[in-house]
Amino acid sequence: MAIARDASESANVVVLEGTVDISSAAELKTALLEALDSGREVRIAVDKASYLDLTAVQLLWAAEQQARRTGVAFRISGQIPDLVSTALAEAGFPSFPASVNAG
Amino acid sequence: MATRGSAEQFKQSFREEAREVLVDLEAALLELNENRADEELVGRVFRALHTIKGSGAMFGFEDLAAFTHNLETAFDEVRNGRLEIGSELIDLTLTALDHIRDLLEEREGAAEASARAEILGKVRKLAGIAESAPAAGKVASVQPGPGGVPIRQWAIHFAPGPDLLLNGANPLLLLAELRQLGGLSVRASMEMVPPLGELDPERCYVSWEMVLASPADRDAVHDVFIFVEDSCELAIDLAAAAEGETGATDEAGSRRLEEPRATGGGRRAYDKPDTASSLRVPAAKLDQFVDLVGELVTVQARLAELAARRDDPDVAAVSEEIERLTSALRETSMNIRMLPIRATFEKFRRLVHDLARDLVKDVELTMEGADTELDKTVIEQLGDPLMHLIRNSMDHGIEPRKLRLARGKRATAKIHLSARHSGASVLIAVSDDGGGIDAEAVRRRAVDKGLVAADARLTETQTFALIFQPGFSTAQQITDVSGRGVGMDVVRQRVEALRGTIDVASQPELGTSVTLRLPLTLAIIDGLLVSVGEACFVLPLASTLECIELSSEDIEQANGKHVANVRGEIVPYIRLREHFGVAGPRPELEQIMVVESGQGRFGFAVDQVLGNCQTVIKSLGRVYRHVQAVSGATILGDGRVALILDPERLVQDAIQAAGHGPRGHPGAASSRAPGGARAGVH
Repeated sequence: MAIARDASESANVVVLEGTVDISSAAELKTALLEALDSGREVRIAVDKASYLDLTAVQLLWAAEQQARRTGVAFRISGQIPDLVSTALAEAGFPSFPASVNAG
Repeated sequence: MATRGSAEQFKQSFREEAREVLVDLEAALLELNENRADEELVGRVFRALHTIKGSGAMFGFEDLAAFTHNLETAFDEVRNGRLEIGSELIDLTLTALDHIRDLLEEREGAAEASARAEILGKVRKLAGIAESAPAAGKVASVQPGPGGVPIRQWAIHFAPGPDLLLNGANPLLLLAELRQLGGLSVRASMEMVPPLGELDPERCYVSWEMVLASPADRDAVHDVFIFVEDSCELAIDLAAAAEGETGATDEAGSRRLEEPRATGGGRRAYDKPDTASSLRVPAAKLDQFVDLVGELVTVQARLAELAARRDDPDVAAVSEEIERLTSALRETSMNIRMLPIRATFEKFRRLVHDLARDLVKDVELTMEGADTELDKTVIEQLGDPLMHLIRNSMDHGIEPRKLRLARGKRATAKIHLSARHSGASVLIAVSDDGGGIDAEAVRRRAVDKGLVAADARLTETQTFALIFQPGFSTAQQITDVSGRGVGMDVVRQRVEALRGTIDVASQPELGTSVTLRLPLTLAIIDGLLVSVGEACFVLPLASTLECIELSSEDIEQANGKHVANVRGEIVPYIRLREHFGVAGPRPELEQIMVVESGQGRFGFAVDQVLGNCQTVIKSLGRVYRHVQAVSGATILGDGRVALILDPERLVQDAIQAAGHGPRGHPGAASSRAPGGARAGVH
């Protein structure tokens, strides 16, 4: 697992790689809060993620809600790997996060 | 990391619950062996395998899940009427069950892996399962169940407890499990997820609303959640039944497994005051608790002693209150340690099944009083003695089929396990309807081995007692099951270690019954403190009937014999001063404590009765392990040590000393028997 932040001029990108689960949940929360605090667009790069567990889903969902409330643009960038999207759909998150399709 | 510790704790909790599921699985398999057409039993076996597999995967026991998968599939085939139950499938599954236990305890080795592969190969061949059948995650096609059971729509509300993820469990795997039962539509609810800043990243906030279309019944759906139900909110309702099932809808729909679902913003069931009726506590913690209560009882005795010396009413009042509370605490802690003997009894179903197959005998195991409760330490020590008694009955007691038929008996023999309370003891009996003990053969063998003199006149009791001598066996052949003369000696040793006694009753050609009389508890007892000279002894209060005075005149009237007249009844007594060689003169007026023993009423003459005392039983250590009449020691309030007497043993020692018991073994007299003979013992 790896969570990296890439702050370009226009956006803060949080990059998720490999397995993102409870062992990295605290780290992901910090990365999301810092990205949202910048006030710039937040992008979550998931194309290198192989697995997202429930802690990651909850954090991304809460981040998206906060972005909406504070008027910060929030989107998922890159293609969600099939394995991840299938798992999310089977777990009852068919279009998660909502912004994935707006991206 | 705390998470790892919690996960291990959760795994341990899974292990404990899985062990219980395995016990039920084994019992169901053995019952199924007797009633192969019972669909209910097939369902029970299938559900247990399904639960072990699904929950095993959820808690990280992937090998266990994969191994169980094919067995589950085989029983699914049985449920669907595509595979017939036969001895081979039952025996394979029983063997597999032992491997599942190893996997559960993570006892792994190359030999085990190879043996498992062999079992799976046989199961697959038997059930016609393709090698590549998926182990998990397969979405089952929704087809009517066995016997054309219609598809039902189950509305499921599932809200995991907040610590579920922290404990290493993955609720998404539960959804995958449900999917295996039928078609599942799922909607995750994020209503309870707090703002990001307040969100604890390791807690679970998501809940699910699901609809499952499946022929599965409520129990099968419920079993998916069996390992998490204590820490989650769960409701399973019949949303729609197929035609012809409307009558069941109301009844089933009104049954909720847990609290009603929470409304938006409301608290979940696990946040509400805990009304759980039971909880799991590690045995070591319980032992520690009882040890501490024992220490408290000892300190309380010191306080009582101190209060008596101070002559201060305030101190006396506090001391009495502490005594009352300590006594209540002691009783409560002892009750917590009491467990039903059922689990110990149930595990012998497998032993009887396996031995019956090996010995080519038809044997039925019946039970009575399995809910009788005993101290957990006693239960833990009982397994081996009962196993040896059952093996002995199976091998030597029960006759070969032909002989049974020739004797006009049922071809199927019977072994009966029973348990019941009797005062402060519990009686555990192993009875069979076999050939009985051949008393003459026992006697001849004892003479050959030099255990008794050739001209010794032995009572039946003494004869039967010989079978518990080390190395004693009348078996003509040593078999895999018995015949080495070890088992019954183990029974005697273990029972003696538990301060118990053994009774043997046997009738020629009718059978034998071996009864173990064991104390209810081994930790703390109510005792009666008595003194003899400078020494103090404790007699268990539960076995004491009354106390009478013994004057010099009474002694004279008995012409020097150790008997007392108790309201017209002649009661023999043992003078502890003489028995233990206590120095000093006898008082003018002695006291006789009358006890009820297995041999009738007996008395113990002492100098003084000092009063009741809560007695923490302390072991005397290995040096005193051969002292039969003393079951332990206790520390008195003034720091002195008092020996705890075993009235039953004292009586038996006295009887043996007066009679002509078998030579060389003090414990031999602990066995008595009212009846006839059995063909052989190992």
